[in-house]
Amino acid sequence: MERMRSGVVSWSQDGGALSRFCGEGWEGVKPEGASRGRQPRRGEGDEVTAAMASDGGRKQFWKRSGAKVPGSIQHVYGAQHPPFDPLLHGTLVKPGSKLPATPVKLKKVSTFQEFESNTSDAWDLGDDDDELLAIAAENLNTEVVMETAHKVIENHSKLQEQHKFQEEHLQEEKQVESVELTSTACGDNRLVKSISEGHTSSSSDNASENTSMQRSQSLPQTSTPPLVSGMADCNTSVTPALTEREASRLDKFKLLLAGPNTDLEELRKLSWSGIPKRVRPIAWKLLSGYLPANVDRRESTLQRKRKEYFAFVEQYYDSRNDENHQDTYRQIHIDIPRMSPEVLRLQPKVTEIFERILFIWAIRHPASGYVQGINDLATPFFVVFICEYIEEEEVENFDVSSLPEEVLQNIEADSYWCMSKLLDGIQDNYTFAQPGIQKKVKMLEELVSRIDEQVHRHLDLHEVKYLQFAFRWMNNLLMREVPLRCTIRLWDTYQSEPEGFSHFHLYVCAAFLVRWRKEILEEKDFQELLIFLQNLPTVHWGNEEISVLLAEAYRLKFAFADAPNHYKK
Amino acid sequence: MAQKEVLGTPPEGIHPTYPYKVVLLGSTSVGKSSLAYRYVKNDFKESLPTVGCSFFTQMLNMEVATVKLEIWDTAGQEKYQSVCHLYYRGAHAALLVYDITNKETLNRAKLWLRDLEKEFLPDEIVIALVGNKVDLAAEREVATEEGEEFARTRGLLFMETSAKSNYQVNDIFMAIARELLQREQEKARAPSPHGRSTVTLGESRVRTGCCRL
Repeated sequence: MERMRSGVVSWSQDGGALSRFCGEGWEGVKPEGASRGRQPRRGEGDEVTAAMASDGGRKQFWKRSGAKVPGSIQHVYGAQHPPFDPLLHGTLVKPGSKLPATPVKLKKVSTFQEFESNTSDAWDLGDDDDELLAIAAENLNTEVVMETAHKVIENHSKLQEQHKFQEEHLQEEKQVESVELTSTACGDNRLVKSISEGHTSSSSDNASENTSMQRSQSLPQTSTPPLVSGMADCNTSVTPALTEREASRLDKFKLLLAGPNTDLEELRKLSWSGIPKRVRPIAWKLLSGYLPANVDRRESTLQRKRKEYFAFVEQYYDSRNDENHQDTYRQIHIDIPRMSPEVLRLQPKVTEIFERILFIWAIRHPASGYVQGINDLATPFFVVFICEYIEEEEVENFDVSSLPEEVLQNIEADSYWCMSKLLDGIQDNYTFAQPGIQKKVKMLEELVSRIDEQVHRHLDLHEVKYLQFAFRWMNNLLMREVPLRCTIRLWDTYQSEPEGFSHFHLYVCAAFLVRWRKEILEEKDFQELLIFLQNLPTVHWGNEEISVLLAEAYRLKFAFADAPNHYKK
Repeated sequence: MAQKEVLGTPPEGIHPTYPYKVVLLGSTSVGKSSLAYRYVKNDFKESLPTVGCSFFTQMLNMEVATVKLEIWDTAGQEKYQSVCHLYYRGAHAALLVYDITNKETLNRAKLWLRDLEKEFLPDEIVIALVGNKVDLAAEREVATEEGEEFARTRGLLFMETSAKSNYQVNDIFMAIARELLQREQEKARAPSPHGRSTVTLGESRVRTGCCRL
């Protein structure tokens, strides 16, 4: 916990975000306060929640984050922003005229949103950050803020001329960046920004226009553009060039990985908010504990482990048709062709590799054996590790058999060991009667009843049981609910969190469920609810959505994990 | 007409709506999900192994009533069975699906039947035995007569189907719906004047609800 706190500079340390969530000045905030503050608010609707930042003192919230963040604002990344509540992006609140002392001040937020939306692209240039934040911190009164905003815009547009060429090339990334940075500074105001930039983004990219439309259909409260380039990590060849920030992050990773001893703590901190794809294979191997931190020992370890794996294959694989193993093998053999690992074309070579990995694992873990769902868990490792040798964009149409045999064997062995490490942490998910899953579904139910009573009651009212939709969430670690690129991003964080797969996942699931609260509350019938919950519209999700989800999950963990009495009713 | 009144149809002649819970049970990869998908979406696709359960609904406008089928497609792997029974609680009908090209899957269906018979009284649930994949006739391991005979001795509905070629998929669900309605009517004629109206169906939903952990 302590470690993560220090890792999440932007909000767990400075408390800015907490004060947002708690609706109190942050000095007084304890986890208890956090949840008390939140529950009633949830039920009060979007406007109220959108305004939560201001609750308890408009200055504190942004002054504090402003005062503490400036130096680091450029480097704050992904989910470690002060997380903004994904539920709140819907209704843009109308400016209220008179503001009551408590509890909410709609006007302030709204004008702040306007202010921010008008100036947020100024973050891009970086130079203005400190000045802007300083000004903003001092001047929370609307007029001054607006005036400042205009100055900044003016200033920015001048600079923009100079940077025009550069802008053209990096426009998309910058939008992403600025959106993310925006949320760093102030969370909820992102809405305005999204609207104002939505057109630029979608007109420059037809695909994203479509997704934007579909998303706004399914998620009417989220008007964020799809930000395809924001998930450049995966599945997109839109922008080969890295943004400045991406490059800087990559450098940090490289530096960390190059040392004679990789500081794993540091690596976890850095990886929590996403690993650049170029270093992901090695980062995953380190994070999972498969590779030693000491550089000199890595190669020999790899060789030893690879040899060890293929010794297993030699020892066990021929027994797959023996009487006592044939059921296991048959099940795997039936399931593999039925998998659709999205980006990965199932060619015979791949099928063989998966069959071996899963069979060997099952034989060596008789307490659980092979359970459907485990097959899915091999995919992210395989896809990430194969990207060590080929470009990510190629994966889909790549003829795997064209890789040298030795390379394929390495990928296979590495995938096996990393998957084993993962499964070690969640084996009770797959032992008889799947107690781990049953327990976690139960915990999810309790947690949701605490964090969003309205949603919980709604499900209960319509007799929707958590097990009916969340069993799969636990059994397949949400892999069936989100695209593979999102799973891979999710696993960056899971592997950086203590007990990421076994424990933090629970908070992610809670955040994931509550993420759909609007849609859930709109469904008034058991059947529709269950169909919705089993077919959540995430097909266009990317890093952005996962970052939001993770931030929310982290917040929940922060508020509940160390306060068990909070958690239990 | 008399039947309708027995069923508690309002005088205006609006059909009552009956929700029924139907579960698909059977070995792994016999085509449970494909049957559900064919029936509900009239399409065929390779489906992922089901984890937990998948849920579908289908409305049927029958002569005497509207039937709303809640179709619970369960995971076939035996490892899931401990969880599966949570899904079939409160079911009004079950399809025991086997693969005609794999004799073992019929044996497995018989085991499912045993489970169901432990859980339900005979008149509590409509059970159909379904031999799927008749499009793979060349690989057939289970003769039609064998399935038929077994179904007859145990009082089950029986049909062979192909989700892939869309053979008798509608028919089997329709047969189940008819049987359910018929039982509804028989119960309505039984001593209790109220019969099994939607109110009692509500109760059965409560039963569904008891599968808490």
